[in-house]
Amino acid sequence: MRKLWMTFLKDAKLSFNGLYFYMEIGMALIFIAVLLFVVPENFESSQTFYVTTELESSDAENVGRFLGDSDDVTMLSNRTEIENAMKKDRSSVGAVIKKNEDKFVYEMVLQGYENESMKNLIKAGIEGEILSQIPGFSSDISVRPLEQDSEKLTDRINILPIYLTMNVGLMGLFIIAAYIFLDKEEGVIRAYAVAPVEVWQYLASKMMIMLMMGLITSFITVLAIAGFDVNYLYLFGLIVAFNTFGSALGLLVSSFFNTMVKAMGVLYVFIMIMMIPAISYLMPSFNPFWIKWFPSYPMMFSLRELLLKNGDQSYILMQIGIYLVLGLILFIAANHRFKKTLTV
Amino acid sequence: MIKVNGLYHSYSKDENFAVKNVNFEISKGEVFGFLGPSGAGKSTTQGVLTGLLPIQKGEVEVVGYDIRHPKREMFNKIGVSFEQSNVYGKLTALENLEFYRKLFDVETMNSMDLLKWVGLDHVANKKAGEFSKGMKHRLTFIRSMLNNPELWFLDEPTTGLDPAIASQIKDIVKEKNKQGTTVFLTTHNMYVADELCHRVAFIIDGEIKLIDSPRNLKLQHGEKFVVVEHLENDVLKKEQLSLIIDQDKARLNEIISTGKIEMMHTKEATLEEIFIKVTGRGLE
Repeated sequence: MRKLWMTFLKDAKLSFNGLYFYMEIGMALIFIAVLLFVVPENFESSQTFYVTTELESSDAENVGRFLGDSDDVTMLSNRTEIENAMKKDRSSVGAVIKKNEDKFVYEMVLQGYENESMKNLIKAGIEGEILSQIPGFSSDISVRPLEQDSEKLTDRINILPIYLTMNVGLMGLFIIAAYIFLDKEEGVIRAYAVAPVEVWQYLASKMMIMLMMGLITSFITVLAIAGFDVNYLYLFGLIVAFNTFGSALGLLVSSFFNTMVKAMGVLYVFIMIMMIPAISYLMPSFNPFWIKWFPSYPMMFSLRELLLKNGDQSYILMQIGIYLVLGLILFIAANHRFKKTLTV
Repeated sequence: MIKVNGLYHSYSKDENFAVKNVNFEISKGEVFGFLGPSGAGKSTTQGVLTGLLPIQKGEVEVVGYDIRHPKREMFNKIGVSFEQSNVYGKLTALENLEFYRKLFDVETMNSMDLLKWVGLDHVANKKAGEFSKGMKHRLTFIRSMLNNPELWFLDEPTTGLDPAIASQIKDIVKEKNKQGTTVFLTTHNMYVADELCHRVAFIIDGEIKLIDSPRNLKLQHGEKFVVVEHLENDVLKKEQLSLIIDQDKARLNEIISTGKIEMMHTKEATLEEIFIKVTGRGLE
C-alpha cells in the first residue's frame, strides 16, 4: 500500500502541476455559474392561447372573467386579431368560443403545421386545463396525474444528474486513457515497469486521481446547485462507484491500443452510446426496455433519486453495490491485459 | 548473473525474428558489451532481459529469477538506464529521484549525492522538463543507480553527451564495477565498449556472431605492426614495421637507438574494424 500511496502522491503532484486539474475545476465552476445565473430555476414552456368569443355580451363577460385571469390566455376581440397575433407568435394557438343550443362549443385556430397527434394534444390541453374553468362548459377530457403526490425536481437541479454522469462516469473513460498514453509517450511507464512495483498499483493510482477529481468537482457542483438538502454520504458512494466503473472501463478499452489516436475513436463511440439514456431522462415518454441496460441509465436515475427529497434509498444503495462490483471486475480485466501490453 | 539460452523474439509473432537463437552468460562482476548497429537486436534482447518485452521462446535467467515467471522483487536487484531519457518533466530532478527511491524495498542511495555525482545538484529543484537533453540523460542514468543494483543495464549511456560528461559517466561505471556491480552495456560505440567491457558480443540481424574480450579480439584480428615517424637527415620519414619479421624488428631497434622519433604507435585493430571484418557491416 505504501508504493500505491507514493505513486498516487506523484500522480497528484503531476496533476496539480498540469493544466487539466484546473480546467476540470474551472469547467465545474462555469457549469455552476451557467446554472445559477443563466438557467432559470424552471423553464417556461407555456404556449400562449388566444381566445375570442362569438357570444352574447353576458356570456362573453362570463368567459372573459374566468379566462382573463390566466397567465397563458390572452383574450382578443375577434378572430382577425387572433390570426394576426398568431402570425407574430408561431408557437401560439387560438380558439373561438361560441354557443350551440345552450352549450359552449369552440373552434380551434391552428398554425397549420400541427399533425394529428399534436392537434389532439392541444385539444386535450385547451379542454382539460383551460376551457373547463368556464362554468357550463362540459368536456369528457379530464387531466389527472398518475402519481398524485409525485415529487418534481426544479429544472435546474434536474440537469445535475446528466452533468454528474458525464463528468464522473463518462469523461473518466477519456481522461484516464489520456493519462496512460501520455506516460507511454514520455517513456516514464518503462521506467516504472523496471521498479519493484505491480502493474495494478500503477493503474489504481490513476483511478484514484480520477476519483479525487470526480469527488471535488461533484461535491462543489452539488453543493452550489442543490445546497445542503442532499445526502452527501450517498453522493460520495455513488461518485466512488460510478467513477470506479468509468475509469476501469477506460483502462480496459485503452489496454487494447498503443496510441491515444487509435483509442480515441472507440472511446468516443462508447461515450456517445452512453449518452443515449439522457434522452429518456429528459423525455420520459421515450423509455424503451433496452435503454435501461445502458450503464449510464441507472447512473442518471440513481443520482436523480439522490436529489429527490424522498428518493428511493434502496435503489441508490443497489446501484452503488452493482457499480463497485462491475468496476472491480473491469479493473481486474484491465490489470490482466496491461500486464502483457503496458510496455509493449 | 544472466543466463540466456536459445532466445527468440518476434514483434509480429511470426517467423520474422528480431532476435534469434541468442545464447550467452554473464558472470558476477563482469562488464558485458552488446555491440551492434541500430536494429541489430540489442534493445530487443535488453527488453526481454528486463521484462519490458514478454519472453516468447527460449530460457532467460536474470539475477537468479526465471524471466518467464518474473517476480517484482527482482527489480530491487537490477537497475535500467534507458537510451531515451524518460523522466517526469513536470517534477523536479530531486522529486523524480525521490519518487523512484521510495519504490524500492532495499537500501537506496541518497538522491542529492547522486545529483552531485553527475553535476546536477545545482538544478535539483528545477523541473526536468526544462533540462537540456544531456541533463535529462544524466538524470535517467543516475535514477538507475538508486537501488545500488547488482546488475546494471545501460543502454547507450554516453550517446549524445559531450566528451567531459561522457568521461564522467564512464568513470562512474568503472567505479561501480569495481564495487562489484555487473554491467550489461548496450552500445554501438566501440570506444566505450573497448574502454569498459571485459567481454563483448557482436550482434547483427538478431544473431550473435562472436563473443570474446576486446583484447583477444585485437590479438586475433589485429595486425602486429608499428608505425614510426622519425627524422633522418632532417627529413621526416614514416615507416610501417612488422613486429614478427626479424628484419623489421632490427630496423625498429635501429630507429629507437639512433633516430629522432617524432611519433610511434602500434597498428592494432579497433573493435569497429574487427566488427566490420567479422560481420561485413559497420556499427553506425
